[in-house]
Amino acid sequence: MTVNFTSAAIVAMLCWAIGSLLSIFGRKTPALKAPAFVLSLGGSLVMGAFIAFYWVLLDRPPLRTLGETRLWYAALIPLVGLLVEYRWKIGWLKYYCMALAAFFLGINMLHPEVFDKTLMPALQSPWFIPHVIVYLVGYVLLAASSVTALHNVSLQMRHKNNSAGESVSHYLALLGFVLLSFGLIFGALWAKEAWGHYWTWDPKETWAFLSWLAYLGYLHAWRYKIDRAKLQWYLALSFVVLLVCWFGVNYLPSAANSVHTYSQS
Amino acid sequence: MVDLPRRLFQSPWEFREAAFFTAFAVIAGFAVQYAGLGVGVPQTHLPYNALFLGTFAVASLSAGVAFRNNAFVNWLGGIPLGLCLIFAIALLSLIGGVVPQTAVKPGSMQALFGLNQIFSSWPFALTILLFLGNLGLSLSWKLVPLKVKNIQFILFHAGFWIALSCGIFGAPDLQRLVVPVEEGKTTNLGYTMESETPQSLPFSVFLQDFSLEEYPPQLLLFDPNTGKIFEERSKTNILVHKGLKASWKGLDIDVLDFIPFALPGKSGVPEPADRTAGIPFAKIRITSKNATTREEWITTGSPFVDTKDAQVGSLLLGIRPGSPKAFRSEVTVQDETGNQSKATLEVNHPINFMGWKLYQMGYDQKSGRWSKLSLIEVIHDPWLPAVYLGFFMIMAGNILFFWNGIKRTEESA
Ligand code: HEM
Repeated sequence: MTVNFTSAAIVAMLCWAIGSLLSIFGRKTPALKAPAFVLSLGGSLVMGAFIAFYWVLLDRPPLRTLGETRLWYAALIPLVGLLVEYRWKIGWLKYYCMALAAFFLGINMLHPEVFDKTLMPALQSPWFIPHVIVYLVGYVLLAASSVTALHNVSLQMRHKNNSAGESVSHYLALLGFVLLSFGLIFGALWAKEAWGHYWTWDPKETWAFLSWLAYLGYLHAWRYKIDRAKLQWYLALSFVVLLVCWFGVNYLPSAANSVHTYSQS
Repeated sequence: MVDLPRRLFQSPWEFREAAFFTAFAVIAGFAVQYAGLGVGVPQTHLPYNALFLGTFAVASLSAGVAFRNNAFVNWLGGIPLGLCLIFAIALLSLIGGVVPQTAVKPGSMQALFGLNQIFSSWPFALTILLFLGNLGLSLSWKLVPLKVKNIQFILFHAGFWIALSCGIFGAPDLQRLVVPVEEGKTTNLGYTMESETPQSLPFSVFLQDFSLEEYPPQLLLFDPNTGKIFEERSKTNILVHKGLKASWKGLDIDVLDFIPFALPGKSGVPEPADRTAGIPFAKIRITSKNATTREEWITTGSPFVDTKDAQVGSLLLGIRPGSPKAFRSEVTVQDETGNQSKATLEVNHPINFMGWKLYQMGYDQKSGRWSKLSLIEVIHDPWLPAVYLGFFMIMAGNILFFWNGIKRTEESA
């Protein structure tokens, strides 16, 4: 199994690397643009195919462990970069996105996971897939929003005007917030069916609530017409809260009695 | 934002005043908590909590409508105060997300300030109350007069108001009990997490049968002296099946035969048995570098049959029961007037009975598949419909928000 993953990951990374190079040269030689796009997209397709293959092999959705969710992240985040380029003609985001995807695959290569087909009863629920996928896509969008915001901050420091960049980070955050809200509520509805109560202030739930509050704060600050340039800092940093929720909770003292530690690995 | 420098508390009030006000509320909350020796907010039950909540809702909505032009009320229901309160709730939740929310020694710092039960502490309650007030005022201005374009705002804010307030104020009315019941027996006693004395329920549960389905057993190589388990070469959690090949350094294993339900036979060869009594047996071929190839039967064992592992040098190779895949209880529930209902309880498949929800919770883990005991959790939550109404309003608001977000960005692009 590990062998298959390594080769799929290397092929995907190569696609992204060559796609990025071609795209950089494509600024001078437009003929390179099409192959650059195909390769960048190809990387995600390779990961998508691997996920499908892995799903069949495992006999269950590969969404149980952190390593498994990183596969999805790696497949999805370059797509956001490409979408932003297509929609707003902003090309640089895709490089960050592909680098981030390669980084996630790299973590998985360094920490191979045990191939495990079992799925505990609580996770065998029709809510499992929608809840996790909605969250994943939300995280992908918010990661892209943070990267955009960070880029905006660096442009401000170099005194470049960039209102298009600010509306991209805002739009991504808005979409991310919508998905986060759905994820939170789906999680609550599922918890009621599986664990008996929709909300128990379990550490994982608490951190999910915190990250939701962070973006809720952002949206209202934006509405109140607080200086949009300053809000880029806020957006860039909000992602830290999300990261704690996603990876960090398992290491906090409060996690000892979490019912959601099955995702630990 | 304000252009001219403005002194604190000089009108119009904005963020700094909101921050002061919020900080004051949080500190006051901690002071009350401390003064009450860490006891926390008193638990109010139906109908008093509903009355309080209703009064509070009506009061904040009518105050908003009546004093729509008052600068102070405008500030009380405005975004600056809302943002500060969101920040305070986030901060208090952060405490709850870092400090373990478990019982600690009474009289310790954590207990006195309620840090170990932050979500039922005074500072949290006070902040939530102010937040609901702020949200209620802002709602009043969008509710009266009602306009179609405000629907999204109303769904979000009223939905959250309802879900949050009913979730928190309704919490004392939540009844959550564990009912242990043995096969062939009936009980109407439930236990809470806090107390050893059982409470009687308005219905009884009869357990016909408890059954557990397992994943196939796992193949393990381990050192019996240290308990250390060696990882198989492919880093796979190996589930045994016929034809399986596994290997460790200098050791190859082939599973020649696998019988999921069998009992020991006379000639040493296991014989297939029925599901209830049978246990997994595997015939393995061991090929190791410095010994001759041999074949033997091994089994997981059960409370009635000894486990049998294969000796490989100083190590043991064995199969162990797989993790639980599903477990279920066939029950009959009956109320005091004799109304009966037969059902199968399973994780993720609770049943409803007389306003209670019954969940398959656990079993006697030591006996595993042979457990005669089922733990059933029973829950009564009269506030659930209200909280769900709030959830669905937020989701409806979300859909509109998503849709309008796209439209608005298209227009500005
Ligand atoms: C602290 C209390 C709150 C206050 C005072 C408040 C106030 C406001 C106001 C005045 C607006 C602008 C509406 C408009 O221009 O039509 C707004 C927008 C919004 N609020 Fe709140 N709100 C609060 C809490 C919440 C909560 C808890 C939620 C989530 C369930 C929420 C979700 C939203 C959303 C999604 C928007 C739209 C943002 C946008 O259009 O960019 N608000 N809020």
